[in-house]
Amino acid sequence: MAGFIIRRLGVMALTALSMTFIVFLLTNLQPNLEKLAKTQAGARITDAEVASWIDRNGYGAPMLTRYGEWLGVLPAPLTTDADGRAIGGRCLRGHPGLAAEEVPRFCGVLQGDWGYSTKFRRPVTEVIAERLQRTGLLMAWAFATMVPLALIVGVLAGMREGSALDRGLSTLSIATTSTPEYVSGVIFVAIFASSMVGLKWFTGSAKSAVEGATFQNFTLPVATVALYGMGYIARMTRASMAEVMTAQYIRTARLKGLSFRAVVLRHALRNALIAPFTVIMLQFPWLLTGVVIVESLFVYPGFGDALVQGAQNNDIDLLLAVSVVAVIVVLATQLLSDIGYAALNPRIRVA
Amino acid sequence: MTTPSSRADARSDRTHPAARMYAREHRAGLMDRREFLGRATALGLTSAAAYALIGQPEPARAQTVPQRGGTLRIQMDCRELADPRTYDWSEKANETRGIIEYLAELKRDGTLRPMLLERWQANEDATEYTLHVRPGVTWNTGEPFTAKDVAANLDGWCDTSVEGNSMPSRMAAMVEDGKAAEGAIEIVDDLTVRLHLLRPDGTLMFGMADYPAAVMHRDKIGTSVADHGIGTGAYMFEEFKVGERIVLVRNPEHSYWGDGAWLDRIEFLDYGTDPSAWLAGADADEFDVTHETVSDFIDIFSALGWVESSVGTSSTVVIRPNQEAEVDGLRPYADVRVRRALALAIDNSVPLELGISGRGRESRNNFHVAPDVHPDYAEIEAHRQDIPEALRLMEEAGMMDFEHELVSIDDDYRKNTTDAVAAQLRDAGFKVRRTVLPGSTFWNDWTKYPFSSTNWAHRETGIQLLNLAYRSTAAWNECGFRNAEFDALLDQATAIADDTERRAVMAKLERIMVDEGVAIIPYFRALYRHAKPGVLNIEMHPKYEINVHHLGWA
Repeated sequence: MAGFIIRRLGVMALTALSMTFIVFLLTNLQPNLEKLAKTQAGARITDAEVASWIDRNGYGAPMLTRYGEWLGVLPAPLTTDADGRAIGGRCLRGHPGLAAEEVPRFCGVLQGDWGYSTKFRRPVTEVIAERLQRTGLLMAWAFATMVPLALIVGVLAGMREGSALDRGLSTLSIATTSTPEYVSGVIFVAIFASSMVGLKWFTGSAKSAVEGATFQNFTLPVATVALYGMGYIARMTRASMAEVMTAQYIRTARLKGLSFRAVVLRHALRNALIAPFTVIMLQFPWLLTGVVIVESLFVYPGFGDALVQGAQNNDIDLLLAVSVVAVIVVLATQLLSDIGYAALNPRIRVA
Repeated sequence: MTTPSSRADARSDRTHPAARMYAREHRAGLMDRREFLGRATALGLTSAAAYALIGQPEPARAQTVPQRGGTLRIQMDCRELADPRTYDWSEKANETRGIIEYLAELKRDGTLRPMLLERWQANEDATEYTLHVRPGVTWNTGEPFTAKDVAANLDGWCDTSVEGNSMPSRMAAMVEDGKAAEGAIEIVDDLTVRLHLLRPDGTLMFGMADYPAAVMHRDKIGTSVADHGIGTGAYMFEEFKVGERIVLVRNPEHSYWGDGAWLDRIEFLDYGTDPSAWLAGADADEFDVTHETVSDFIDIFSALGWVESSVGTSSTVVIRPNQEAEVDGLRPYADVRVRRALALAIDNSVPLELGISGRGRESRNNFHVAPDVHPDYAEIEAHRQDIPEALRLMEEAGMMDFEHELVSIDDDYRKNTTDAVAAQLRDAGFKVRRTVLPGSTFWNDWTKYPFSSTNWAHRETGIQLLNLAYRSTAAWNECGFRNAEFDALLDQATAIADDTERRAVMAKLERIMVDEGVAIIPYFRALYRHAKPGVLNIEMHPKYEINVHHLGWA
């Protein structure tokens, strides 16, 4: 077991390394660096000014060298003016006015420095921590709504395959999962939040949820995420439940005279939940990146919004950190689901 | 706020001679009131004195004085800050105007109000300006604000070696060899600075009121105010989160020179670029004021019961070919026939209607000077759509088969305006492909696109715009338009302080722009803003300016 986890962690580090290298490569293409210079020094600066900005701020070195600087295995050079004052360079970002001798030589991931977000003008770790917390809240509420609802719907639909209840619930879950969030979200806002319809039960903007999530400002984003994910899990649960219900041991249980209720709850349910468990675990990484749409629709500044803003502004360090987080979340949930799967299903042993 | 109007009346015997001349022109009907006021105040008259010259009382300011205290929440993009001289968005200046202030301020009626200056005077041919620093102003560090600060800032505004510094183009009459000309800025005493210009410039004070001209402490020039917070304003940052929100609160350590600064707290909230998100925020009662309301949302916000305010401006969308851009090794727009053909295929009333729902006025012709807004506007023949002539020119140039790629930003009015132009070009028989880029990538190459649309903000005079965007050497010359004759006329026009005289040259400049097919300039916009009932002094400003010191609740 320990060996298994260590191997998995090794894979995780390797994946994160290759992933960040690809992201680094893409964000450091020359046109992207020029774009960065323009967002930093003014949209309307000349080409010569762009070139001098790139050189001065430590974006001019060969790409591999700078990747090494980001990792912290290579020292990052410091640009100084004629008087020996520090005026630019990787390690100076975010610390304007630091004396040249106080600027560290190394400032990469190995030193625990994840860099400086050029868009948000703050250390990347601060941005990521704050944003993950917000998205975490959204995800937690979405999960708390989605999973029980999906399991109930799936079990109810799957226990009597082909019944009117099954047809009704299946239609519902297919409808919710095939409606993209940007459609359902807009419909929700129009019906429940706008002056147009006039219900105004909730708010169509979750910006104030940053200050404190309330039933009013958080319901619609949570519902939008939860409904979309719910249908899928419900469908998987239903299929799994329907299959279990046809198994020999269920027939035996019924023949020995157990009530339908007891058959479903005591015999069918546990086995039927194995397949949905994997699906539920797979929702984690999806939620983390899939909230991009919901977050921008409801103006909720979370992790997805940071990803969009980072990409739009070619915020190199932020994008690298985002991709590391994404790799960790994806692989960690896979690890958890493998372990959990083994716990649910004794026939499988992790090795 | 202490306006110097009473003192100004006592000094009326020292009224600038040109201002008297403008007053005569106004009475003779040669100059409208707005234009007269703008010109006269730029020469150093107070608006009360200017109104007095033409025998009219100064309109009373809003009768209701705001209450002291309260919080105001404003929907606006929250942008990162840098050296104010490099500000490329008026939003950035709105974020900092509560901390770093300006020598003068442009009012909604086109006149200038003295701020950190108590008053100023120009000599007869506008080659020498005397700036009188307002006494009693202090930095929030406790130091007094003096002529040294003013001179240091002026020096910085003339420095072309700073990346992205857009001030030298406004201070051009003092710039020599990339910096302030020797002896141009003279400190007379602690409260007086005298400027000696290389050539006459009647628009200099407008430049000092423009949004990149925020006055920094003399030791902090070149820095971002977000890093140290030193300024003369009554406020300070409590929270600064780019792309999210910016909170200003009254600085308890600092005694502010003016009697404004009514509010305790101002929040700028970023809702992105999608107006429907703004509407959702308004519906959710998350803010009280929009930065700018656009297109269909103007009516929707009014229907919510919010108070609409609007102002006519010279801001516009310029749909321009770049004469120097290469497409597949060819310079399609170097040929004047191609450019003229594009312009002739357009009926300018269509983009006005489809792009901004008629909220503005049609341009006279395809030149960048706005009727009824710019004092130096000269009337030349009107534009007329002429498709057969357009086809003839395009065929003559052998470019009928060329596919024009028309680029625009992905937003509401700019996209729709560009779409309307593209549709008319297609109707005329030209091949057009539309490319729509998101706001974040569009600006990276905005001067380089072969054929694209750009929004231009309002400037107080036409000559400022022509200098900024169409001079051969201008950093923002996105048309790739380099014309020696045009430049020479620009020099000539800039040196003319008198409007009637300048108009003759402006007419020539305008005609060159039309004949050369420099750009399609279909309309000039009116700008709109909405606020909840009870918010005072938030009316839309032609340059989107928000001075948080003036705002308050009734």
